[in-house]
Amino acid sequence: MRAIEGIRRSGVAIGPERTMREAAEIMERSGVGALAVLDGDHLVGIVTDRDLVRRGLARRLDPHARVDSMMSSPVVTIEADADLRAAYAIFRENAVRRLAVTERGRFVGVLSIDDLLINLSADLADLVRPVTAETIYGHRDSPVPATRS
Amino acid sequence: MHAAKGDRIIIRGHRVGEPDRDCEVLEVRGDDGGPPYVVRWGDSGHETLFFPGSDAALQHFDAADAGGARS
Repeated sequence: MRAIEGIRRSGVAIGPERTMREAAEIMERSGVGALAVLDGDHLVGIVTDRDLVRRGLARRLDPHARVDSMMSSPVVTIEADADLRAAYAIFRENAVRRLAVTERGRFVGVLSIDDLLINLSADLADLVRPVTAETIYGHRDSPVPATRS
Repeated sequence: MHAAKGDRIIIRGHRVGEPDRDCEVLEVRGDDGGPPYVVRWGDSGHETLFFPGSDAALQHFDAADAGGARS
């Protein structure tokens, strides 16, 4: 599976000049916990609900402070066509919960640890289903191949 | 996803009890109706760039149909 196919949630992006209050309202309205920050087509950062609390509210920043004053930058990215398993290594090596997915350098979405867990649990469920059925309903005997006497 | 100006995008709630969200497509930035889209979020007036995921569904609005939308 490609990295872009592992994305479960839509991505939302805003400009670096947008304010902390606007970012919070957009998160609330769109239901996402992280916004990509794009300067034109250029991905310059990611701002999360956690950033708004820790880097904004906790430091008593003005609600009209720009989001680029509290965003995480540079952004850890993964190419859209990369194998999804590559994301595991990137998460392991970086203290982040979300990766920006890029295609030819352009932002196309956000891949989160939650997305990987959901995909992983779906794969596990597919594996567990026949084992559970066997345990509950007993083994199905394989037919004996016909032999010539 | 292939959208046009005026279409509505519905984003399903991700948890039990979480409401669906919706936004209006103001501008299509991709080729052939593809993403990203400049959208406006409900009555908040906030405009953002939107990159639809598997949680998003498009609702086309037919200008000739005053009765409403079709999916």
